[in-house]
Amino acid sequence: MSDTLTVTNPAAASAVAEAPRTFGIAAEFSSAADLYHAAEKCRDHGFRIWDVHTPFPIHGMDEAMGLGNSKVSLIALAAACTGTVLALMLEFIPSIWLYPLVVHGKPLDFFTVPAFFPVIFEFTVLCCAFGCVFGMLALNRLPRWNHPLFNWERFAKFSDDGFFLSIEADDPKFQETRTKEFLEGIGAENITLIYE
Amino acid sequence: MSAVATIPAAKSPKVEYFQTNNLGPVFFRLLAFGAVSLLIFLVMTLFASDPQAKRQILFSLLFAYSYFFTITSGALFWILVHHATDAEWSVVVRRVLETMAQSFRYGWVFFLPVVIFAPQVYAWLDVPVGRDPVLDPKRGMLNYPFWTLRAFVIIGGFALIAFLLRKWSAAQDRDGNPRYTVITRKLVFASIPFFALGITFAAIDWLMSLDYYWFSTMWGVYIFAGASWSAMAMLIVITVTLRKNGYLEGLVTDEHYQIMGKLLLAFTIFWAYIGFGQYFLIWYANIPEETSYFIRRNAEHWNWMSTGLVVLHFFVPFLLLLSQSLKRNPGYLRGVAVYCLVIHALDLYIIVLPALHYKDVSFHILDLAGLVMIGCTLAFFFLKNLAKFPLYPLRDPRLKQSINLKN
Repeated sequence: MSDTLTVTNPAAASAVAEAPRTFGIAAEFSSAADLYHAAEKCRDHGFRIWDVHTPFPIHGMDEAMGLGNSKVSLIALAAACTGTVLALMLEFIPSIWLYPLVVHGKPLDFFTVPAFFPVIFEFTVLCCAFGCVFGMLALNRLPRWNHPLFNWERFAKFSDDGFFLSIEADDPKFQETRTKEFLEGIGAENITLIYE
Repeated sequence: MSAVATIPAAKSPKVEYFQTNNLGPVFFRLLAFGAVSLLIFLVMTLFASDPQAKRQILFSLLFAYSYFFTITSGALFWILVHHATDAEWSVVVRRVLETMAQSFRYGWVFFLPVVIFAPQVYAWLDVPVGRDPVLDPKRGMLNYPFWTLRAFVIIGGFALIAFLLRKWSAAQDRDGNPRYTVITRKLVFASIPFFALGITFAAIDWLMSLDYYWFSTMWGVYIFAGASWSAMAMLIVITVTLRKNGYLEGLVTDEHYQIMGKLLLAFTIFWAYIGFGQYFLIWYANIPEETSYFIRRNAEHWNWMSTGLVVLHFFVPFLLLLSQSLKRNPGYLRGVAVYCLVIHALDLYIIVLPALHYKDVSFHILDLAGLVMIGCTLAFFFLKNLAKFPLYPLRDPRLKQSINLKN
């Protein structure tokens, strides 16, 4: 009877065709230390697209996960340089070249730069801060409406007392059964397949 | 009621002493260079015929002494900050800082001629009362007895603080009594206001009053910024050199280099901020009694040096110290630190010598000889002192955290 239903009901048929894609596998660990060591094993096993989720920052976790230096600093540097150059142009082009403005008898060449320094400094810092914040958001692919991990009810504990590890299906080493076995092997609990 | 039990030393790092047995050639070279420089000074003093030549001797001494006084004060500042903030990272290098700060005890000898012949250096001592209406209201500060007393109190006070800090630190090495950490902190909190006032008055008395017309409320902070910057550079040079000679193995790590590099970068920016803040307000307001200092230093070749200082003291070290991975490279970091020490000399040269060579830059052999003479003497005593106590605080309660430091 159910067979006939799926065949005859067009809505149900399309639902079958668009079966939810696997996002990855998530698992829970009982403590921060367990998660730390699990992260080291994940790193050594060669996973690339994976993450840990904890209620608080864990010291040395970036090393345990094998994360390198953040790329945010490069973005910040580029943004800061842009800010410096922009501020220099915004001040020198109008006040020195287009409409020379003598204030306090200060020189009309490069050596009037002390007057422009506060603005150059502030604009550099502003651009650098923007570079940091927006660079960080972009690298984290934020903001976003939702994340597949929130489909798992138990995952809500990540902001309370849960220590989670998730391996995404996009990882080249990801294979549903073998990854599950791997997680079991490193002492994970509540291993769950997450759908998008 | 000192019923605190004796605590055994942490077992992992071994007790480490600085060995001076095979340093004979180094000591010989230091003494030889120091003696040659002293000889140059004595010869110059004997043959100094005109007043300008006599003043050159004193100015060179003042320049060299302020160079090492600022570095030593900076070392004292870093110890004070270490205890006041209960810092972890600096425990392993604290003994080096403590030994650096002992230099107050020896350096004053070279300042003595400047104090004795002060009227040759400081014009305000030569002006009779009632002659200069600008000077007369300042006589409360600028008079010889009070000025000498201040110099005595500043150097003596700093030397005493540095002595007590090392004494208690070394005492803790023997019995591991945490009481020393507590009383050190009490001493430090009492010393911080004294240190701040001391370095401010030293800056005003010895450097700013070279031109008694001029004043700047930023002056004390400006000298302090250079002092803490150069002391951090000196600490890096000494620590890396010790490490390369096999000392502090397993104690000082890349993490410590990175922190020291970070602080050097931070104080590069701090110096630039204070220096620019001082220059900017004076430049913009354009009030004659304030601008005299910069007008003198923005003329002829002094201008080249002042402009160069902006680039060499800020932009170059700023860019050199930006990268995180480069800061973790000890050889590189020491190179930058040596560079910083050279530039700190340029900074003080521009502060002191224009008062003598008003019109244009005029280098003198004594400027270099003074640096070599005081530097060799202080380095000699530094190495001797470093060997007296273990190379790091053996039983500091925070030693372990410091060794296992992570940035």
